[in-house]
Amino acid sequence: MIAPWRRRHRDLELDEELAGHMRMAIEERVARGERREDAQRAARREFGNLGVVKEVTRDMWGGGWFERLLQDVRYGARTLRRSPAFTIVALSTLALGIGATTAMFTVVHGVLLRPLPYPRSDRLMRIAYDYPKSPFITEGGISDRQWVDTRSRYRTFTRVAAFTPGFVTLANAGDPVRLQEASVAAGLFETLGIAPALGRTFGRDDELVSGEPVVVLGDALWRERFGADANVVGRTITLDGVRHTVLGVMPQGFAYPLDARLWRPLRLELAPNRFQILSVIGRLRDGATRAQALAELDGLAAADRARDSVIARVTPLKDTVVGDVTRSLLVFAGAVGLVLLIACANVANLLLMRATTRRREMAVRAALGAGRPRLVRQLVTESALLWVGAGVAGAAIAVAGVRALLTLAPDGRIPRHGEIGVDAVALGFALTVSLGTGLIFGLIPALRATGSGVRDALAASARTMTGRDGRLRGALVMAEIALALVLLTGAALMMESFIRLRRVELGFRPAGLASLTVDLPDATYPSAAAMQAAHQAVLDRLGRIRGVASASAVNFVPLGGPMIRGDIKVDGRTLPPSYLVAKPSVSPGYFRTMAIRLRLGREFTAQDVASAPHVAIVSESVARQIWPDVNPIGQRISNKDVPGPGDWLTVVGVVDDVGQTSIDVHREPAIYQPIQQLTQAFFLGHMSFVVRGVGDPALLLPAMRRALRDVDPNQPIGSIGTMESAISATVAEPLFQARLIGAFSIVALVLAAIGIYGVVAYSVAERTREIGIRVALGAGRGAVVGMVLRRLLVLLVPGVVLGVVGALATTRVLSSLLFDIRPNDPATFVSVAVLLAAVAIVAGMMPARRASRVDPLVALREG
Amino acid sequence: MAKQGLSRIELLQGTLDLIVLQTLRWGPRHGYGIAQMIRASSRDVLQVDTGSLYPALHRLEKSGAIAAEWETSENRQRVRVYRLTAAGRKQLDAERSRWEQLSQAMAGIFAPPAAETET
Repeated sequence: MIAPWRRRHRDLELDEELAGHMRMAIEERVARGERREDAQRAARREFGNLGVVKEVTRDMWGGGWFERLLQDVRYGARTLRRSPAFTIVALSTLALGIGATTAMFTVVHGVLLRPLPYPRSDRLMRIAYDYPKSPFITEGGISDRQWVDTRSRYRTFTRVAAFTPGFVTLANAGDPVRLQEASVAAGLFETLGIAPALGRTFGRDDELVSGEPVVVLGDALWRERFGADANVVGRTITLDGVRHTVLGVMPQGFAYPLDARLWRPLRLELAPNRFQILSVIGRLRDGATRAQALAELDGLAAADRARDSVIARVTPLKDTVVGDVTRSLLVFAGAVGLVLLIACANVANLLLMRATTRRREMAVRAALGAGRPRLVRQLVTESALLWVGAGVAGAAIAVAGVRALLTLAPDGRIPRHGEIGVDAVALGFALTVSLGTGLIFGLIPALRATGSGVRDALAASARTMTGRDGRLRGALVMAEIALALVLLTGAALMMESFIRLRRVELGFRPAGLASLTVDLPDATYPSAAAMQAAHQAVLDRLGRIRGVASASAVNFVPLGGPMIRGDIKVDGRTLPPSYLVAKPSVSPGYFRTMAIRLRLGREFTAQDVASAPHVAIVSESVARQIWPDVNPIGQRISNKDVPGPGDWLTVVGVVDDVGQTSIDVHREPAIYQPIQQLTQAFFLGHMSFVVRGVGDPALLLPAMRRALRDVDPNQPIGSIGTMESAISATVAEPLFQARLIGAFSIVALVLAAIGIYGVVAYSVAERTREIGIRVALGAGRGAVVGMVLRRLLVLLVPGVVLGVVGALATTRVLSSLLFDIRPNDPATFVSVAVLLAAVAIVAGMMPARRASRVDPLVALREG
Repeated sequence: MAKQGLSRIELLQGTLDLIVLQTLRWGPRHGYGIAQMIRASSRDVLQVDTGSLYPALHRLEKSGAIAAEWETSENRQRVRVYRLTAAGRKQLDAERSRWEQLSQAMAGIFAPPAAETET
C-alpha cells in the first residue's frame, strides 16, 4: 500500500514509463522505415487505451481506494454544485424524510426500545389478578387483603412491593399545589433498585397505621419547593393539612409510578365491606421465569381461596409503563417510514433522469478509459454524498422534530418523555438509514447510467435514450402513488374518526360553561357538614360574580376525570348484577347550569336538605331500563345492598343521559343525588363548581379563583378552565394523532405529485419532436394532451389499485385508534383515491398543456 | 484479431507472471523490451497487451519478485528497467517446475490412447 501523498509521484513515473514505451515503439517502426505519422498511429493502436492501462496498473499498487474515494467525493461535490436546483430539491426531500424518520425513531427508541432506567430492569414484573366476575374492578391488581396475606410468600421473586397512586395537596411551601403522589409499601424503591439521594426510604415500621406521618420527596419537587435544601431531611411539610416528616429525597429522574412527585408509606386499614386494589411489582429471582411466576400466582390465589375466578397476570414492567401508546407510536413509525420511502423513490427518480442526460458524460469518461466499476463507484459516491448530506441535515431536523413532537403531544401521553433525546443511537440510526437508502437508491440509477450501450451513447442523441429507464421511473412513481395512497387513507380515517368524535351529542351544552375543581382535605374539613358549608360559601360567591348566569356544584363533573360508579337496588324489581350506573351528586340548579334537559318531574331544590325525604333524579336510560312500563316518578331506589327503611331514595325527576367519563363512551346511565343529602365526607371531598356565563366563560376564571381563595386561601385549585377546553383536552390525543399522520400524508402527497410531474414533464420533453410531427400532421391540442395523459394513466391506475390493496391490508392496524368508523370504510377509500387521482392529473396536466403548445417548427428544428 | 485471441490466453495471471520472470532471467529490461522479447521468443504468437503487461510488472514489483530502477538510455531518456530479485528467481524455479508438470499432464491428456483411435 502506498501512502496517498506518494501517489502523485508514482503517477508521474507511470506516465513517464508508458510514454517511454510508446516512444520506443514508434522509434522502432521509424527505424524499420515507416513514415513517422503511420508509425505513431500504429503504435498507438497497438498500445491500446492509455487511460485504461494506467488505471489497471495503478490498481496493482493497492491502497488506491482512499485516493479514489477522495477523488470521487471531490468530483461528486463538484457535479452537485454545478446543478444547484437538482441538489437542493434532492437534499431537502431526503433531509425531510430522514429527519422525520429519525425523530420518530428517537421517540420509539426512548419509549419502547430502551430499557427502563433501573438496574436489570428486564427482571422487573408487574403482577396482578384480573377479576372478570367483578363489575367494580376494571383494572387488574391485588386486593389489599390478599397483599397482606401473600406478600412474604412469593418464591419466584426476590422482592415484591405494592403501591397505589393518588394526589395530595402541599401547603406552606409556596402556593398551595396539588401533586401526583404514590402510597408505597416498604421495599418499593429497593425492588426497583434505586437508593435515595438523601436520607432514607420507608421501612416496615413506617407502614403502621399509627405511625408518624412521613414522606419521601422527588428530586424535582425538592428543587422547586425546597430550594434543594440539603438539610430538608427531618423537616416537616404540610400535606392535605397534616404535618409530615421528610425522610429522604430520591435521585434526579426518578418518578415511578406515573409521574409521582413524592411518596408516602402505604398504610392499610383492612375493614369489612371495603377493599382497595393495589398495584404490585416484583423483581424476578435469577433463573425464575415468567411462566413460573405465573404458576406461583395461580397457586397463591387457589391456596387463599381468594376469588373463585381470578386470572393471574405477570407483565414485564416496561410494557405496563409504556402501555397503550405502543400502537400509536408504531403506526407513526410506519407512516414516517412510508414518507421516507417516497422521498427516496423521488430522489432515485431525479437521479435516473439526471443519469439519462449524463449519458454523454459517462460515455466520454468511458472512452477516456474509466471502467464501468469506476463509473458506478463515482455515481454511487455522488448519491451517497447526497444522502449523507441529507443525513446530517436530517439529524438537525430530528432534534427539532423530537422537541416539537414532545411539545405538541398531549400532556402526559408520552410515557418516559424525560428519557427521550436524540442521542448517539439515534444519530447512528440516521447515518445508517441515509447510507443504506443512499446505496440502494443510488446504485440502481448508477447501474442504469453506465449499463450496456454506453459507447453507443456517443453516437446517439441523449434525448432518445429512454426505454428501460422510462419503465423504471414509471415503476418508482407508481410505487410512490401507492404508498401515498396508503398513508392518505390512514390519515383520512383518523380525521373522519376525529370529526365523528367531536360530533358526539354530549347531552349538555358546553359552550359558556367554566368549571373549578377542588379537593378538600379531611384534616381541615373533618366532617361532611364542614365540607358542605365550604361548598355553599364558594357557590354563594360564584353566584355573585358579574356575568355568571348560574352556578352549581357536582362532585364528579362530566369529562372531568374520575367518576363514581356502582350498582343500585330498586324497590320491587331485580336488576342484572352487572348493571352499573354513574352516581354523581349535584347542587340545586345543576341541570339548568349544564343545560341538561329535564324530561319528567322536577330538579333538586334548596328544600332537598338532609332532614327532608331523600330524593334522586335518574337519567333517561335508567328510567327506560328499570321502569319501561310505569312512570318512574315516585319509584324508590337505594345505594345499599340491603336497604333499611331510611335508605330509600324517591325518584323525583328524569333527565337526559350525559357522556360522563369520555365522549367516545357515548351517554351513560346515571342517578343523581343532592349534595346536601350526602352524609359521607368521602363523596364530598372532590368537588367541581360549574358556572354558566352570559359571555365568554374564560373571562370568569380569575373571579372564580378569587371566590375560592376568599373561602380558603390554603386550598389549591385542582383544575380550572372552560368546559370546551376540557373537552378539547379529552380529544387532544386523537386530534394529535390525526394531525401528525395528516402531516405525514400531505408530505407524501406533495412528494408523489412532484414525482408524477417530473416523469410526465420528462416524457414530454423527450417526445417534443414526436409531438411536433403529430401537430404538424394536424393533431389537435386535445389529442396531444390526451396522449400525454395516457402516459400518466398507465402509472396512475395501477398505482391506485396497488395503493387501495395496500391500504386494505394495513389500515386494520388503526382499528383501535378509530372511533365510529371501520378501517375499511368504503366512502373514505373512494374519496381518498379520487383526491389522489385528481392531484396526479393536475400534476400531469401542467406538462401536458405545455406539450399541446409545442410549435412544430421549433420542435422539428431542435430535434 | 486472431492474434489478439491468442494473446488472451496469457491473461491467466500466473502464466504471464511466469513468462515475465523467465524473460528477465536473461538480464534487466524495460517494459517495451520485455514485450518485444516475449513476442520474438514466441515467434509472434504471444502479443502481450500493455494493459496486461504493466499491471503484471507492477504487481510483481510489489510482491518483491522483481525490482525496478530508472536508467538513462543512450538518447538520454529515462527508462524504467526491471530486474529479477533473488526471491523472483526462487519463484521462477518453483513456478517453472509446476508449469512443466502441468504441460506434461496436458500433453498426456491430449495424446490420444491408441485403442480408442481405432474405433
